[in-house]
Amino acid sequence: MNKSIPYAWVSGTLLGPLEQQLLDELWSRGSATVRELLRDQTIKLAYTTVMTTMDRLYKKGLLDRIEEGRAYRYFPRQTRDEARRIAAVESIRQLMGSDDSSSLPLSYLVEALSEHDERLLDELQKLVDRKRRELKKRDQS
Amino acid sequence: MFALRGIAISLSFFWFTYCLFSALTASSWQFLHRVRTIPPRVSATFLFAARILPLSVSIAVTLALTVPSFILLEPRGTDEGIGVAPIVFSAFCVTLFAVCFMRAIYAQTDTQEVISQWLRGARTLSLSEAVPAFQLAGTVPPLTLAGLRRPRLFVSEGALSVLSPDELTVAVKHEVAHMRVHDNFKKLILRLAWFPGMGELDKAWQRAAELRADQEAVSSAREALDLAAALIKLSRQPRNESLPTVSMGLVRDAFVTVRVGRLLNWEETDLRSRWKLPSLLLCGAVLLSIIAVAYGPLLQETHAIAEWLVR
Repeated sequence: MNKSIPYAWVSGTLLGPLEQQLLDELWSRGSATVRELLRDQTIKLAYTTVMTTMDRLYKKGLLDRIEEGRAYRYFPRQTRDEARRIAAVESIRQLMGSDDSSSLPLSYLVEALSEHDERLLDELQKLVDRKRRELKKRDQS
Repeated sequence: MFALRGIAISLSFFWFTYCLFSALTASSWQFLHRVRTIPPRVSATFLFAARILPLSVSIAVTLALTVPSFILLEPRGTDEGIGVAPIVFSAFCVTLFAVCFMRAIYAQTDTQEVISQWLRGARTLSLSEAVPAFQLAGTVPPLTLAGLRRPRLFVSEGALSVLSPDELTVAVKHEVAHMRVHDNFKKLILRLAWFPGMGELDKAWQRAAELRADQEAVSSAREALDLAAALIKLSRQPRNESLPTVSMGLVRDAFVTVRVGRLLNWEETDLRSRWKLPSLLLCGAVLLSIIAVAYGPLLQETHAIAEWLVR
Protein backbone atom coordinates (compact mmCIF):
# COMPACT_ATOMS: atom_id res chain seq x y z
CA MET A 1 0.00 0.00 0.00
CA ASN A 2 1.37 3.33 -0.96
CA LYS A 3 1.12 5.65 2.02
CA SER A 4 2.03 8.91 0.32
CA ILE A 5 -0.33 11.81 0.90
CA PRO A 6 -1.75 13.86 -1.96
CA TYR A 7 -0.04 17.06 -0.89
CA ALA A 8 -1.76 18.84 -3.76
CA TRP A 9 -4.66 19.66 -1.49
CA VAL A 10 -2.46 21.11 1.21
CA SER A 11 -0.58 23.48 -0.99
CA GLY A 12 -2.96 23.89 -3.87
CA THR A 13 -0.43 22.35 -6.24
CA LEU A 14 0.67 18.80 -6.79
CA LEU A 15 4.08 18.08 -5.33
CA GLY A 16 6.73 16.45 -7.46
CA PRO A 17 8.43 13.18 -6.44
CA LEU A 18 11.48 14.96 -5.02
CA GLU A 19 9.34 17.35 -2.97
CA GLN A 20 7.37 14.41 -1.60
CA GLN A 21 10.58 12.53 -0.81
CA LEU A 22 12.06 15.48 1.08
CA LEU A 23 8.85 16.10 2.98
CA ASP A 24 8.74 12.41 3.94
CA GLU A 25 12.34 12.64 5.14
CA LEU A 26 11.50 15.66 7.30
CA TRP A 27 8.49 13.90 8.75
CA SER A 28 10.73 10.98 9.70
CA ARG A 29 13.47 13.16 11.17
CA GLY A 30 11.40 15.96 12.70
CA SER A 31 13.77 18.63 11.36
CA ALA A 32 16.92 18.82 9.24
CA THR A 33 19.29 21.08 7.38
CA VAL A 34 20.08 20.41 3.72
CA ARG A 35 23.51 19.07 4.72
CA GLU A 36 21.96 16.66 7.23
CA LEU A 37 19.57 15.36 4.59
CA LEU A 38 22.47 14.64 2.27
CA ARG A 39 24.80 13.24 4.90
CA ASP A 40 23.52 9.65 5.10
CA GLN A 41 23.38 9.28 1.30
CA THR A 42 19.70 8.27 1.14
CA ILE A 43 19.18 11.33 -1.04
CA LYS A 44 21.75 11.34 -3.81
CA LEU A 45 21.29 14.77 -5.28
CA ALA A 46 23.26 17.99 -5.61
CA TYR A 47 23.24 20.29 -2.60
CA THR A 48 21.75 23.14 -4.63
CA THR A 49 18.94 20.91 -5.94
CA VAL A 50 17.89 19.93 -2.43
CA MET A 51 18.29 23.52 -1.20
CA THR A 52 16.10 24.87 -4.01
CA THR A 53 13.45 22.21 -3.43
CA MET A 54 13.38 22.89 0.32
CA ASP A 55 13.03 26.58 -0.39
CA ARG A 56 10.14 25.82 -2.73
CA LEU A 57 8.42 23.73 -0.05
CA TYR A 58 8.93 26.59 2.39
CA LYS A 59 7.37 29.06 -0.05
CA LYS A 60 4.45 26.67 -0.57
CA GLY A 61 3.82 26.89 3.16
CA LEU A 62 4.63 23.26 3.92
CA LEU A 63 7.82 23.92 5.87
CA ASP A 64 9.03 26.34 8.53
CA ARG A 65 12.67 27.27 8.89
CA ILE A 66 15.08 28.94 11.28
CA GLU A 67 18.57 30.21 10.58
CA GLU A 68 21.31 27.95 11.85
CA GLY A 69 24.74 29.38 11.14
CA ARG A 70 24.87 30.08 7.43
CA ALA A 71 22.13 27.57 6.58
CA TYR A 72 18.48 26.97 7.47
CA ARG A 73 17.00 24.24 9.59
CA TYR A 74 13.66 23.12 8.14
CA PHE A 75 10.62 21.77 10.03
CA PRO A 76 7.39 20.40 8.55
CA ARG A 77 4.51 22.75 9.38
CA GLN A 78 2.12 19.87 9.89
CA THR A 79 2.56 16.33 11.05
CA ARG A 80 1.84 13.58 8.58
CA ASP A 81 -1.62 13.07 10.11
CA GLU A 82 -2.42 16.78 10.14
CA ALA A 83 -1.44 16.99 6.49
CA ARG A 84 -3.72 14.03 5.77
CA ARG A 85 -6.58 15.75 7.58
CA ILE A 86 -5.99 19.06 5.78
CA ALA A 87 -5.83 17.18 2.49
CA ALA A 88 -9.27 15.70 3.16
CA VAL A 89 -10.76 19.04 4.24
CA GLU A 90 -9.28 20.84 1.25
CA SER A 91 -10.60 18.16 -1.05
CA ILE A 92 -14.11 18.53 0.37
CA ARG A 93 -13.88 22.30 0.15
CA GLN A 94 -12.93 22.04 -3.51
CA LEU A 95 -15.74 19.62 -4.16
CA MET A 96 -18.24 21.99 -2.56
CA GLY A 97 -17.12 24.61 -5.04
CA SER A 98 -17.47 22.27 -8.00
CA ASP A 99 -20.30 22.27 -10.51
CA ASP A 100 -22.24 19.41 -8.95
CA SER A 101 -22.28 20.63 -5.36
CA SER A 102 -26.07 20.24 -5.16
CA SER A 103 -25.71 16.47 -5.24
CA LEU A 104 -22.24 16.00 -3.81
CA PRO A 105 -21.39 12.39 -4.56
CA LEU A 106 -19.44 10.45 -1.98
CA SER A 107 -17.25 8.98 -4.65
CA TYR A 108 -15.82 12.43 -5.47
CA LEU A 109 -14.04 12.42 -2.15
CA VAL A 110 -11.73 9.77 -3.46
CA GLU A 111 -9.97 12.47 -5.48
CA ALA A 112 -8.10 13.29 -2.31
CA LEU A 113 -6.39 9.93 -2.23
CA SER A 114 -3.27 8.63 -3.87
CA GLU A 115 -3.39 7.25 -7.37
CA HIS A 116 -1.80 3.97 -6.40
CA ASP A 117 -4.00 3.41 -3.41
CA GLU A 118 -5.30 -0.11 -3.73
CA ARG A 119 -7.80 0.48 -0.94
CA LEU A 120 -9.27 3.37 -2.86
CA LEU A 121 -9.63 1.19 -5.94
CA ASP A 122 -11.34 -1.46 -3.80
CA GLU A 123 -13.77 1.16 -2.49
CA LEU A 124 -14.47 2.39 -5.99
CA GLN A 125 -15.06 -1.15 -7.16
CA LYS A 126 -17.53 -1.66 -4.31
CA LEU A 127 -19.38 1.50 -5.36
CA VAL A 128 -19.56 0.26 -8.94
CA ASP A 129 -20.80 -3.15 -7.80
CA ARG A 130 -23.43 -1.53 -5.58
CA LYS A 131 -24.63 0.69 -8.43
CA ARG A 132 -24.76 -2.34 -10.71
CA ARG A 133 -26.91 -4.21 -8.22
CA GLU A 134 -29.23 -1.21 -7.89
CA LEU A 135 -29.51 -0.99 -11.64
CA LYS A 136 -30.28 -4.69 -11.93
CA LYS A 137 -32.98 -4.44 -9.27
CA ARG A 138 -34.50 -1.45 -11.04
CA ASP A 139 -34.51 -3.34 -14.33
CA GLN A 140 -36.16 -6.37 -12.74
CA SER A 141 -38.91 -4.44 -10.94
CA MET B 1 15.78 45.05 -49.42
CA PHE B 2 12.01 45.65 -49.68
CA ALA B 3 11.28 41.94 -49.36
CA LEU B 4 13.76 41.46 -46.52
CA ARG B 5 12.27 44.40 -44.63
CA GLY B 6 8.81 42.95 -45.16
CA ILE B 7 9.87 39.53 -43.85
CA ALA B 8 11.65 41.04 -40.81
CA ILE B 9 8.65 43.19 -39.91
CA SER B 10 6.21 40.30 -40.37
CA LEU B 11 8.31 38.00 -38.16
CA SER B 12 8.62 40.75 -35.54
CA PHE B 13 4.87 41.24 -35.47
CA PHE B 14 4.35 37.48 -35.20
CA TRP B 15 6.82 37.15 -32.33
CA PHE B 16 5.44 40.10 -30.43
CA THR B 17 1.79 39.02 -30.84
CA TYR B 18 2.60 35.42 -29.95
CA CYS B 19 4.47 36.36 -26.77
CA LEU B 20 1.83 38.90 -25.70
CA PHE B 21 -1.12 36.57 -26.19
CA SER B 22 0.73 33.57 -24.72
CA ALA B 23 1.57 35.53 -21.57
CA LEU B 24 -2.04 36.76 -21.32
CA THR B 25 -3.44 33.25 -21.83
CA ALA B 26 -1.02 31.60 -19.41
CA SER B 27 -1.91 34.10 -16.69
CA SER B 28 -5.64 34.38 -17.21
CA TRP B 29 -7.09 31.03 -18.32
CA GLN B 30 -7.50 29.79 -14.74
CA PHE B 31 -9.90 32.60 -13.92
CA LEU B 32 -12.03 31.73 -16.92
CA HIS B 33 -11.83 28.01 -16.15
CA ARG B 34 -13.33 28.61 -12.73
CA VAL B 35 -16.70 28.86 -14.44
CA ARG B 36 -17.41 25.26 -13.53
CA THR B 37 -20.87 24.95 -14.94
CA ILE B 38 -19.30 24.26 -18.33
CA PRO B 39 -19.94 20.66 -19.45
CA PRO B 40 -16.83 18.62 -20.43
CA ARG B 41 -17.55 18.83 -24.15
CA VAL B 42 -17.55 22.61 -24.10
CA SER B 43 -14.78 22.80 -21.52
CA ALA B 44 -12.39 20.72 -23.67
CA THR B 45 -13.12 22.83 -26.73
CA PHE B 46 -12.80 26.05 -24.78
CA LEU B 47 -9.49 25.07 -23.17
CA PHE B 48 -8.03 23.96 -26.47
CA ALA B 49 -9.21 27.19 -28.13
CA ALA B 50 -7.63 29.20 -25.31
CA ARG B 51 -4.41 27.22 -25.65
CA ILE B 52 -4.05 27.82 -29.38
CA LEU B 53 -5.36 31.39 -29.24
CA PRO B 54 -1.84 32.93 -29.24
CA LEU B 55 -0.81 30.93 -32.30
CA SER B 56 -4.07 31.64 -34.13
CA VAL B 57 -4.02 35.35 -33.35
CA SER B 58 -0.34 35.64 -34.33
CA ILE B 59 -0.95 33.93 -37.67
CA ALA B 60 -4.06 36.04 -38.29
CA VAL B 61 -2.34 39.32 -37.39
CA THR B 62 0.68 38.49 -39.55
CA LEU B 63 -1.18 37.25 -42.61
CA ALA B 64 -4.24 39.49 -42.48
CA LEU B 65 -2.69 42.74 -41.25
CA THR B 66 1.11 42.91 -41.25
CA VAL B 67 1.81 41.47 -44.70
CA PRO B 68 -1.04 43.31 -46.53
CA SER B 69 -0.29 46.61 -44.79
CA PHE B 70 3.36 46.34 -45.80
CA ILE B 71 2.61 45.41 -49.42
CA LEU B 72 -0.12 48.04 -49.86
CA LEU B 73 1.23 50.97 -47.88
CA GLU B 74 5.02 50.70 -47.94
CA PRO B 75 6.65 52.69 -50.78
CA ARG B 76 8.87 50.42 -52.88
CA GLY B 77 11.35 52.92 -54.28
CA THR B 78 12.99 54.01 -51.00
CA ASP B 79 16.41 52.80 -49.84
CA GLU B 80 15.22 52.45 -46.24
CA GLY B 81 17.15 49.89 -44.14
CA ILE B 82 15.63 47.01 -42.17
CA GLY B 83 16.31 48.54 -38.76
CA VAL B 84 17.85 47.00 -35.65
CA ALA B 85 14.59 46.21 -33.82
CA PRO B 86 13.04 44.15 -36.67
CA ILE B 87 16.31 42.21 -37.08
CA VAL B 88 16.47 41.38 -33.37
CA PHE B 89 12.77 40.50 -33.07
CA SER B 90 12.80 38.39 -36.23
CA ALA B 91 15.84 36.51 -34.86
CA PHE B 92 13.78 35.78 -31.71
CA CYS B 93 10.92 34.66 -33.90
CA VAL B 94 13.11 32.31 -35.95
CA THR B 95 14.47 30.82 -32.71
CA LEU B 96 10.91 30.35 -31.45
CA PHE B 97 9.94 28.64 -34.71
CA ALA B 98 12.98 26.35 -34.45
CA VAL B 99 12.15 25.35 -30.86
CA CYS B 100 8.47 24.76 -31.61
CA PHE B 101 9.08 22.74 -34.76
CA MET B 102 11.78 20.67 -33.10
CA ARG B 103 9.38 19.82 -30.28
CA ALA B 104 6.65 18.82 -32.70
CA ILE B 105 9.02 16.82 -34.92
CA TYR B 106 10.51 15.05 -31.93
CA ALA B 107 7.04 14.17 -30.59
CA GLN B 108 5.96 12.78 -33.92
CA THR B 109 9.12 10.77 -34.62
CA ASP B 110 9.17 9.44 -31.05
CA THR B 111 5.56 8.33 -31.41
CA GLN B 112 6.25 6.68 -34.76
CA GLU B 113 9.19 4.81 -33.29
CA VAL B 114 7.15 3.54 -30.35
CA ILE B 115 4.30 2.50 -32.65
CA SER B 116 6.71 0.59 -34.92
CA GLN B 117 8.16 -1.08 -31.85
CA TRP B 118 4.72 -2.02 -30.58
CA LEU B 119 3.59 -3.29 -33.98
CA ARG B 120 6.46 -5.75 -34.05
CA GLY B 121 4.98 -8.84 -32.50
CA ALA B 122 1.51 -7.29 -32.06
CA ARG B 123 -1.54 -9.34 -32.94
CA THR B 124 -4.47 -7.86 -34.90
CA LEU B 125 -7.76 -7.58 -33.01
CA SER B 126 -11.24 -6.90 -34.34
CA LEU B 127 -12.62 -4.63 -31.65
CA SER B 128 -14.01 -1.72 -33.61
CA GLU B 129 -14.72 -0.83 -37.22
CA ALA B 130 -13.61 2.72 -36.56
CA VAL B 131 -10.00 2.02 -35.65
CA PRO B 132 -7.48 -0.79 -36.30
CA ALA B 133 -6.69 -2.54 -33.01
CA PHE B 134 -3.69 -4.55 -31.93
CA GLN B 135 -2.92 -6.74 -28.95
CA LEU B 136 0.37 -6.19 -27.15
CA ALA B 137 2.07 -8.78 -25.03
CA GLY B 138 2.31 -8.00 -21.30
CA THR B 139 0.39 -5.49 -19.24
CA VAL B 140 1.59 -2.07 -20.40
CA PRO B 141 0.21 0.11 -21.87
CA PRO B 142 -3.29 -1.14 -21.03
CA LEU B 143 -5.26 0.72 -23.70
CA THR B 144 -3.80 3.43 -25.89
CA LEU B 145 -4.75 5.25 -29.04
CA ALA B 146 -1.53 6.24 -30.76
CA GLY B 147 -0.67 7.93 -34.02
CA LEU B 148 -1.69 10.90 -36.06
CA ARG B 149 -2.73 10.16 -39.62
CA ARG B 150 -3.81 6.58 -39.04
CA PRO B 151 -4.36 6.20 -35.30
CA ARG B 152 -4.14 2.68 -33.98
CA LEU B 153 -5.54 1.22 -30.82
CA PHE B 154 -3.19 -0.87 -28.71
CA VAL B 155 -4.63 -3.15 -26.06
CA SER B 156 -2.42 -5.07 -23.70
CA GLU B 157 -2.80 -8.74 -22.99
CA GLY B 158 -3.32 -7.78 -19.34
CA ALA B 159 -6.21 -5.44 -20.21
CA LEU B 160 -7.87 -8.12 -22.34
CA SER B 161 -7.63 -10.61 -19.53
CA VAL B 162 -9.18 -8.40 -16.84
CA LEU B 163 -11.91 -6.58 -18.75
CA SER B 164 -15.30 -8.14 -19.41
CA PRO B 165 -16.58 -7.90 -23.03
CA ASP B 166 -18.92 -5.02 -22.11
CA GLU B 167 -16.17 -3.15 -20.28
CA LEU B 168 -13.79 -3.60 -23.19
CA THR B 169 -16.43 -2.37 -25.66
CA VAL B 170 -17.07 0.85 -23.79
CA ALA B 171 -13.33 1.38 -23.16
CA VAL B 172 -12.74 1.09 -26.91
CA LYS B 173 -15.60 3.55 -27.50
CA HIS B 174 -13.78 5.96 -25.21
CA GLU B 175 -10.65 5.76 -27.37
CA VAL B 176 -12.71 6.07 -30.55
CA ALA B 177 -14.23 9.24 -29.08
CA HIS B 178 -10.70 10.64 -28.77
CA MET B 179 -10.06 9.71 -32.38
CA ARG B 180 -13.27 11.35 -33.65
CA VAL B 181 -12.26 14.73 -32.24
CA HIS B 182 -8.62 14.32 -33.32
CA ASP B 183 -7.20 14.58 -29.81
CA ASN B 184 -3.83 13.17 -30.88
CA PHE B 185 -3.53 15.86 -33.54
CA LYS B 186 -4.45 18.46 -30.94
CA LYS B 187 -1.70 17.14 -28.67
CA LEU B 188 0.78 17.66 -31.46
CA ILE B 189 -0.50 21.21 -31.99
CA LEU B 190 0.05 21.86 -28.28
CA ARG B 191 3.64 20.66 -28.65
CA LEU B 192 4.04 23.00 -31.60
CA ALA B 193 2.48 26.04 -29.91
CA TRP B 194 5.05 26.04 -27.13
CA PHE B 195 5.40 28.81 -24.59
CA PRO B 196 6.71 28.74 -21.00
CA GLY B 197 3.98 28.49 -18.36
CA MET B 198 1.43 26.67 -20.54
CA GLY B 199 1.92 23.28 -18.83
CA GLU B 200 -1.05 23.64 -16.48
CA LEU B 201 -3.36 24.67 -19.30
CA ASP B 202 -2.20 21.64 -21.30
CA LYS B 203 -3.00 19.37 -18.35
CA ALA B 204 -6.39 21.00 -17.85
CA TRP B 205 -7.20 20.42 -21.52
CA GLN B 206 -6.09 16.80 -21.30
CA ARG B 207 -8.33 16.20 -18.31
CA ALA B 208 -11.27 17.87 -20.01
CA ALA B 209 -10.58 15.77 -23.13
CA GLU B 210 -10.70 12.61 -21.01
CA LEU B 211 -14.00 13.64 -19.43
CA ARG B 212 -15.41 14.46 -22.84
CA ALA B 213 -14.31 11.07 -24.25
CA ASP B 214 -15.95 9.39 -21.23
CA GLN B 215 -19.14 11.29 -21.91
CA GLU B 216 -19.09 10.51 -25.64
CA ALA B 217 -18.43 6.81 -25.00
CA VAL B 218 -21.32 6.35 -22.61
CA SER B 219 -24.99 6.40 -23.54
CA SER B 220 -26.58 4.62 -20.57
CA ALA B 221 -26.04 4.14 -16.84
CA ARG B 222 -24.96 0.57 -17.53
CA GLU B 223 -22.24 1.69 -19.94
CA ALA B 224 -21.13 4.34 -17.45
CA LEU B 225 -20.63 1.62 -14.83
CA ASP B 226 -18.81 -0.57 -17.34
CA LEU B 227 -16.41 2.24 -18.16
CA ALA B 228 -15.93 3.03 -14.46
CA ALA B 229 -15.15 -0.65 -13.80
CA ALA B 230 -12.72 -0.69 -16.73
CA LEU B 231 -10.92 2.37 -15.37
CA ILE B 232 -10.60 0.80 -11.93
CA LYS B 233 -9.35 -2.51 -13.29
CA LEU B 234 -6.82 -0.87 -15.59
CA SER B 235 -5.63 1.39 -12.76
CA ARG B 236 -4.46 -1.76 -11.00
CA GLN B 237 -2.26 -2.70 -13.94
CA PRO B 238 1.45 -1.94 -13.67
CA ARG B 239 2.47 1.31 -15.34
CA ASN B 240 6.20 1.51 -15.62
CA GLU B 241 6.19 2.47 -19.28
CA SER B 242 5.72 6.04 -20.46
CA LEU B 243 3.38 6.56 -23.38
CA PRO B 244 4.41 8.22 -26.64
CA THR B 245 3.58 11.93 -26.88
CA VAL B 246 1.01 11.72 -29.66
CA SER B 247 -1.26 9.24 -27.89
CA MET B 248 -4.21 9.07 -25.52
CA GLY B 249 -4.11 6.34 -22.87
CA LEU B 250 -7.23 5.17 -21.06
CA VAL B 251 -5.57 5.33 -17.64
CA ARG B 252 -2.80 7.83 -17.05
CA ASP B 253 -3.01 9.51 -13.66
CA ALA B 254 -4.81 10.07 -10.37
CA PHE B 255 -7.51 11.94 -12.25
CA VAL B 256 -9.04 8.53 -12.90
CA THR B 257 -10.81 8.78 -9.53
CA VAL B 258 -12.65 11.93 -10.61
CA ARG B 259 -13.66 10.22 -13.80
CA VAL B 260 -14.98 7.19 -11.94
CA GLY B 261 -16.88 9.55 -9.62
CA ARG B 262 -18.53 11.24 -12.56
CA LEU B 263 -19.37 7.93 -14.22
CA LEU B 264 -20.94 6.63 -11.02
CA ASN B 265 -23.21 9.65 -11.03
CA TRP B 266 -23.98 9.51 -14.73
CA GLU B 267 -27.47 10.67 -15.68
CA GLU B 268 -29.48 10.93 -18.88
CA THR B 269 -29.07 14.70 -18.73
CA ASP B 270 -25.37 14.23 -19.53
CA LEU B 271 -26.40 13.43 -23.07
CA ARG B 272 -28.10 16.76 -23.57
CA SER B 273 -25.22 19.21 -23.38
CA ARG B 274 -24.64 20.10 -27.01
CA TRP B 275 -23.10 23.06 -28.76
CA LYS B 276 -25.65 25.47 -30.09
CA LEU B 277 -24.51 25.92 -33.69
CA PRO B 278 -26.70 28.94 -34.58
CA SER B 279 -25.31 30.99 -31.68
CA LEU B 280 -21.75 30.10 -32.74
CA LEU B 281 -22.46 31.12 -36.32
CA LEU B 282 -23.96 34.38 -35.09
CA CYS B 283 -20.85 35.16 -33.01
CA GLY B 284 -18.65 34.39 -36.01
CA ALA B 285 -20.70 36.63 -38.28
CA VAL B 286 -20.59 39.52 -35.79
CA LEU B 287 -16.81 39.14 -35.41
CA LEU B 288 -16.29 39.07 -39.17
CA SER B 289 -18.48 42.19 -39.62
CA ILE B 290 -16.46 44.08 -37.01
CA ILE B 291 -13.20 43.05 -38.70
CA ALA B 292 -14.56 44.05 -42.14
CA VAL B 293 -15.56 47.52 -40.91
CA ALA B 294 -12.32 48.11 -39.02
CA TYR B 295 -9.97 46.53 -41.59
CA GLY B 296 -8.90 49.75 -43.37
CA PRO B 297 -7.98 51.67 -40.19
CA LEU B 298 -6.30 48.55 -38.79
CA LEU B 299 -4.04 48.31 -41.85
CA GLN B 300 -3.07 51.97 -41.42
CA GLU B 301 -2.31 51.45 -37.73
CA THR B 302 -0.27 48.32 -38.43
CA HIS B 303 1.77 50.19 -41.00
CA ALA B 304 2.33 53.05 -38.59
CA ILE B 305 3.67 50.60 -35.98
CA ALA B 306 5.90 48.99 -38.62
CA GLU B 307 7.31 52.41 -39.54
CA TRP B 308 7.97 53.15 -35.89
CA LEU B 309 9.68 49.78 -35.51
CA VAL B 310 12.00 50.37 -38.47
CA ARG B 311 13.07 53.78 -37.18
